[in-house]
Amino acid sequence: MNQEPPETTTPGQERNPTMVSVKDVSKTYAGAGATEALRNVSIEVREGEFLVILGPSGAGKSTLMRCINRLVEPTSGSIIVDGREVTSRRRELRAVRRQVGMVFQQFNLVKRLSVLMNVLSGRLAYHTLWRSLIYSFNKEDKRIAIECLARVNMEHKTFQRADTLSGGEQQRVAIARALAQQPKVILADEPVASLDPKIARQVLTYLKQIAGELGITVLCNLHQVEYAREYAERVVGLSRGAVVFDGPSGKLTDDILQQIYYRDSEAGDDDDV
Amino acid sequence: MTMTFERDVAATLQMEAAHRQRRFAKGLGWGGLTVAVLWFTADQIGMNPLALIKGADHMWDFLTRMFPPDLSYIFFLGRATVETVQIAVWGTLLAVVFSIPLSLLAARNTTPLVMLPWFTETWQRLSLHLLVFHLTRLLLNMLRGINELIFALIFVSAVGLGPFAGVLAIALHATGMLAKFCGEEIEGVDQGQIEAVQATGASKMQVILFAVIPQVIPAFISYSIFRFDVSIRSATVLGLVGAGGLGFSLIKTMKLFKYYETATCILVIFLLVAGADWICSKWRAKVI
Repeated sequence: MNQEPPETTTPGQERNPTMVSVKDVSKTYAGAGATEALRNVSIEVREGEFLVILGPSGAGKSTLMRCINRLVEPTSGSIIVDGREVTSRRRELRAVRRQVGMVFQQFNLVKRLSVLMNVLSGRLAYHTLWRSLIYSFNKEDKRIAIECLARVNMEHKTFQRADTLSGGEQQRVAIARALAQQPKVILADEPVASLDPKIARQVLTYLKQIAGELGITVLCNLHQVEYAREYAERVVGLSRGAVVFDGPSGKLTDDILQQIYYRDSEAGDDDDV
Repeated sequence: MTMTFERDVAATLQMEAAHRQRRFAKGLGWGGLTVAVLWFTADQIGMNPLALIKGADHMWDFLTRMFPPDLSYIFFLGRATVETVQIAVWGTLLAVVFSIPLSLLAARNTTPLVMLPWFTETWQRLSLHLLVFHLTRLLLNMLRGINELIFALIFVSAVGLGPFAGVLAIALHATGMLAKFCGEEIEGVDQGQIEAVQATGASKMQVILFAVIPQVIPAFISYSIFRFDVSIRSATVLGLVGAGGLGFSLIKTMKLFKYYETATCILVIFLLVAGADWICSKWRAKVI
């Protein structure tokens, strides 16, 4: 694969310090027909950057994200978040995870809890078990949670149960939950794949605002090129577990897209493009 | 193109016919074997419809001695009826309390893993890191496998005749049932919700509190109510071995050949069980 030289993107962010640094990370899923999900992936992401990781289904986008907060254990390589190496030692890992919010394709709200309780669960890592045992949070936590809900215009649904919301609303609450962690990084794993285009744009706009206004680094997995072109400042193209492009979204040429989506080898695989 | 296409369809059709014939032959074989085994079994355990017909007049005799029931005896059964319900309430309540921690230990995704620094891989292959899980399951299987009446016999000799032995018997058996059921429910929870709370940096216990328990609580409550219903039924017979409740009145009147009163006991048991069933089904419908 011809690798584009890593290029930093918009002016102004060039001088920002590195927030997430992925070095030579590989992941092979064990088991029958062991699959190589990631092959020597290296990326540097700066503070406050809005980065889109683009690639077809099965390219390893999700695995890469899960390696960053260790929901998946990489086979080799190292990841540094905000100057701290991500390890699997529980206490240190929890400290890293507290700084890294995550947003999922399936929203993953705890359906039977209220919207407020879901957002408050973003505060759990700040508390000891004894407090959580009685499902109690202090006033400051509640203020933070409601503020985060207001940021995604969901404060009017504070007391509703999560499973009564529509998909787009659930994803906004999920963003609020990630924000309630007061994170330095947000990982959004295909956050709009199960939403219609109008709602999808709304959600992406919120995510982009967050990066801009709060200075949170946002890594966003997408498989749709048009959204990447519309929202990304910088795009990392992932194909079959390897980085095949790293540069500003303006430089996403047809040639490069062909490489990402390997249209030449597998016909009929390009409906998303 | 069309030629090969038609040939392919014909070949698959032929395969389907062969497949069907094989299945039929197999079904015939297993069916025949099942019938043979059942016939042999019926013979072994002396299932004989003639005996039932011949014994009909004995049964009739027994029934006529019970009829008409002595309804005035109901007034003496009040205390025993209340006691039956009390045994069921406390037995189930204790089972609910015991089964909360036990069900967490009895689910693969919440049980504490035993990780020793040596031979980790061998340990994992033998799934010995699930030691706590396996031991808990073993305990629950023992609790479930032993009938309440047997537990009651043991506890009567331990704490003496009376309802407390019944409470303990029901509590142990129901704990086995509830914790196993709830453990399986915990294993079936949505992994996505767990991952989301994990990703916030929550500890293992916090994940259980905020992602696991909310998911299993409706099933747990519903099953606890069902268990209460079953416990009432069990509590009506525990008295047969001296562990309190209506069963004790039943066996007492029978031993004294007061069959009119026995009939009243059976009537009250029937009403109690039917009432509990009705109330519990309403209650469960409300929870779900």
